[in-house]
Amino acid sequence: MPALFFPRRYPPLLRVAAFVLLSIVIAGLSEKHPNMLNWSGNLTYPIHWLDLQVTENWRTVGQYLQDRRSLLAENAQMREKLKTLEPKLLENEILHNENRQLLALLDSFPQPPGKMAVAQVIAENFSPGSQLITVNLGSRNGVQVGQPVLAAGGVAGQVIHVADLSAQIALISDLDSSIPAQLAGTNLPLLVNGKGNIHWLSVPFQPRNTTLKAGDQLVTSGLGGRFPSGLHIGTISRVIHNGDEPFAQISVRPAVPLGQLTTVLILLKNKPTSRPDKA
Amino acid sequence: MNAIAMVIAFFLAMVLETLPSGPVYGMIHPDFVAMLLLYWSIRSGSELSYTVVWLIGLLQDMVMGDVPGGQAVAGVLMIYALVNGLGRVRHLSVWEQLVFIFMLLFAHRLIVWSWQLWSGPVSWHFSLLISPLMGALLWPLFTYLLDYLRHHMQASS
Repeated sequence: MPALFFPRRYPPLLRVAAFVLLSIVIAGLSEKHPNMLNWSGNLTYPIHWLDLQVTENWRTVGQYLQDRRSLLAENAQMREKLKTLEPKLLENEILHNENRQLLALLDSFPQPPGKMAVAQVIAENFSPGSQLITVNLGSRNGVQVGQPVLAAGGVAGQVIHVADLSAQIALISDLDSSIPAQLAGTNLPLLVNGKGNIHWLSVPFQPRNTTLKAGDQLVTSGLGGRFPSGLHIGTISRVIHNGDEPFAQISVRPAVPLGQLTTVLILLKNKPTSRPDKA
Repeated sequence: MNAIAMVIAFFLAMVLETLPSGPVYGMIHPDFVAMLLLYWSIRSGSELSYTVVWLIGLLQDMVMGDVPGGQAVAGVLMIYALVNGLGRVRHLSVWEQLVFIFMLLFAHRLIVWSWQLWSGPVSWHFSLLISPLMGALLWPLFTYLLDYLRHHMQASS
């Protein structure tokens, strides 16, 4: 195998040092210019495409192997669930109409969400710290950096890199993620940060005597204009008031099962920006 | 070793790395690309170039969406350690290699993990230990499978 850049007449240690230096330069540049490697999505698309094929075929085989009895049981379970959901749906409709009337009185109709696109998850990276997924829509489909991403239940993350045919999304659990939030039903401004763990988020900078408690629902506040307001982020699961710490430690369970995403919703009509929200 | 076969093998290893199969798989799966680099280096002697290792690592960084350079540096340092420090590993049996493979994969994982500090504080996680352990345990099967494919391809060509 020929050495492409560094001929073998140089000592191995020198070659290794040169590659380490080169990597440091690239890492530094990519931090300074986050869009620098957007093109790499096109280069890696065949790998992500094959990921999708493998996953889809695996699911098809799984479904095929599921026997008739379990399908019938599932069907019956679904019917029962539907029976309980139908009255709730009716109730929701009544509440929705009432809400519209109240909002009309306040003259503050929420902004419609705008154009959306359904994207399929084609790759994941759940290493400690990084909580990234790749989807099968890219700039050709109108996806841009910074656009919010939703899933069944609430907010899932936001777009951080876009290639022609794919886009990379940092989940709300990613260490870099920070979303302006508020307590549902109040205007108390908060931040919800990722902790690098798929199951937990955190609310930083809350005093020890905070009124936040387990069970409180957190929604997006709409501050910063990135996420529409009122989207469910998660539920506070634990508030620890440690005597030595200046702030309370608040853990939040995400509303969306971030580890089981197969399809997500990208809100397309949003201002393009170069960087996602950062605290 | 057949270059096309190696390209296909690395391609498949990267597919396995990013397979959307949930966080548990994401945390515990071995680093197939690093294992393939080790296999290639052990079987091919001094044939493996640092440039190729570095480029494969950089491609893996792009595929994973990590801070670029982490996998590349980890790959180069791992192969350097194997070739210069642990040269005897080549002459050990596959079972005897297990401990060294674990050490090399763990070192590789630690370098990739610390590289993520570019983008912020990264917490310690047990998968940093589990993934190399899985890699080491799978090593005999991994080498057996690749040896078999290699001999089969050589025989048919």
